[in-house]
Amino acid sequence: MNDRVEPLIDEEARLAGQGSGTTLATAAADVAVPPRDRRRGKSPTAIALGRLRQDRVAIVCGGVFLFFVLVAIFAPLLAKLEGQDPYTLHQELTDDYGFPTIGPTAEHWFGVEPRLGRDLFARWVYGARPSLIVATSVTVITTVIGVVAGLIAGFAGGWIDRILSWVIDFVLSLPYLLFAIALPSVLLAVFVGTAEEASGDDVSRIRFFSLILVLSLFGWAGLARLIRGEVLSLREREFIAAAKVLGVPTRTVLFRELLPNLVAPIVISVSMALPGYIVTEAGLTFLGVGLTEPTPSWGVTIASAQNFYSADPLYLWLPVAGITILVLALSLLGDAVRDAFDPRTRR
Amino acid sequence: MLLYILKRVLSAISVVFVALVASFALFFLAPTDPAGVICGNRCTPERVADIRSSLGLDEPPAEQITGYIKGIFAGRDFTNGGTVQHCDAPCLGYSYSLGQPVTKLLAQAVPVTISVVIGAAVVYLFLGALLGTMAAQRRGSPSDKLLMGSAITINSIPYFVFALLVALYVTVLPHPQYTSFLSNPIAWAGGLVAAWLTLGVTNTASYTRYARASMIESLGQDFVRTARSKGISERRVVYRHGLRAALTPLATIFGIDLAGQLTGALFTESIFGLPGLGVLTLRAFNQYDLPVLMGCVLLGAVVLVVMNLVVDIVYTFLDPRVRLG
Repeated sequence: MNDRVEPLIDEEARLAGQGSGTTLATAAADVAVPPRDRRRGKSPTAIALGRLRQDRVAIVCGGVFLFFVLVAIFAPLLAKLEGQDPYTLHQELTDDYGFPTIGPTAEHWFGVEPRLGRDLFARWVYGARPSLIVATSVTVITTVIGVVAGLIAGFAGGWIDRILSWVIDFVLSLPYLLFAIALPSVLLAVFVGTAEEASGDDVSRIRFFSLILVLSLFGWAGLARLIRGEVLSLREREFIAAAKVLGVPTRTVLFRELLPNLVAPIVISVSMALPGYIVTEAGLTFLGVGLTEPTPSWGVTIASAQNFYSADPLYLWLPVAGITILVLALSLLGDAVRDAFDPRTRR
Repeated sequence: MLLYILKRVLSAISVVFVALVASFALFFLAPTDPAGVICGNRCTPERVADIRSSLGLDEPPAEQITGYIKGIFAGRDFTNGGTVQHCDAPCLGYSYSLGQPVTKLLAQAVPVTISVVIGAAVVYLFLGALLGTMAAQRRGSPSDKLLMGSAITINSIPYFVFALLVALYVTVLPHPQYTSFLSNPIAWAGGLVAAWLTLGVTNTASYTRYARASMIESLGQDFVRTARSKGISERRVVYRHGLRAALTPLATIFGIDLAGQLTGALFTESIFGLPGLGVLTLRAFNQYDLPVLMGCVLLGAVVLVVMNLVVDIVYTFLDPRVRLG
């Protein structure tokens, strides 16, 4: 089967390599390439990754992203290192008006919150978690659904395509932000009864899952439409016709023949989606319709810190800096990934 | 051509209809208890039953939804504690918490949202086209790189963070508030200028990128070379000949984007405290005011679908190639 794919890969490699002769030249000297690959040239993905490795902005941004991922993973460890946790109240450290009486100290590295006096460093490191967990799970879910739906719609054609296309158009033409606000209250009522009866933990857990649900529900359609379009044009190519003639099962054609040719649009879409969902999560949480207290989350902190912006700037600026740097790094990385994977954007 | 338009209109209507039924099912038929919420904690079961019947929640689902749809087109009557209240078409019910017709609340909120979106659009279309053209002219130069770099950076900052920081720290702008345009145009503009600039600057970043790409393509065309060879001034070549051709793709993006801007104005409204559609939705969410939530979602869906339809139809007139599709 691989022999049938070969001409296509060569053609794409040639196209992808056009803009950067230097990459190909250095690629020849690359010892890591297995002998088989050297004979037939690199795959488009390998070329794109090689290009990405040479992009200094991409490397720095990838490093920043990795830093936040590590902070999120080792949040309990970091908090233990400081000797605090994000939930304990230290109201003895705030004055009668709720303002903290201490700044950053050896005990509280970033100081404490106004009013409740919870440790800011611990809340900051734990706050990286929901952003990354929500954004990553939504990105994975929407990518899987989007790719499968797009593959099926594009490849099956006929009434399956018509129904799926209608659903895609339908989802894309709904005001998803308004739904994202409206849905959690309904879900909360369905699962735990009215807001008065629910405990704080229940509410924050339901909010967490409803956020993932809503974003996934509306996020897959764009990618599905993109993949469907790609599949429609790939479907008519010789290697697919050959696979069909040889009696390869449809599932194998879809996932072994078509999917490898869709790597570029999928990678680009993932790299754009991830920062987008981080912003959406934090934004909805900021508006009060995403995650809620007592979950440590940058969106929650920004929302409550805006009232203390002049009295306690650190309280506001820590989460603001966290979310801005993380999203900025991811977006720039996304741009670099797109440039590396899509030869047409090379100028 | 006519058949294509008819097909698009029918599919748009089907989308709106399914959105209506789906959101109605979600909001009113899910095992939620709006009557209990309205009544509060210390509430007798009789009182809850009374509220439920006055809201029509005790009727079978099919009747509830036909009642709702009938209300939109023909108006309907509500009985509340023995008195009959008529709600004129288009009727979307009454707000649970405010007791006012949902349509009235929407009618108050929509002008605010439209003012924010249109004002910002003026800012970013003008600045975007101008900066994009300048960048395209100086393509590859340090000033182009600086401009595009800052555009990408501004684009990558989370919008709500940017708007919040502007609202908190940029205090030279007039205090944001909404005054009706008809009652006092100067106060209207003054109260909105902070929101316009904030939303405008963020979008300017993306529109500068679109305009630059479009201008680079347009400046490479033969008619630009012809114009240059005629010996007319470079400024005239760029702004009269090049920019005119580059504006069409920009207008298309704007058309598709505008509907999204209407719902995206949410953050701007809530951060600057402007009583628009987004703030109305948020308030309805916090008070579990289902008819208002339903009305906002429905209005948002209709606006999005209609805008997409208009863009598609206008596009068939602008670009003959689309007609084949």
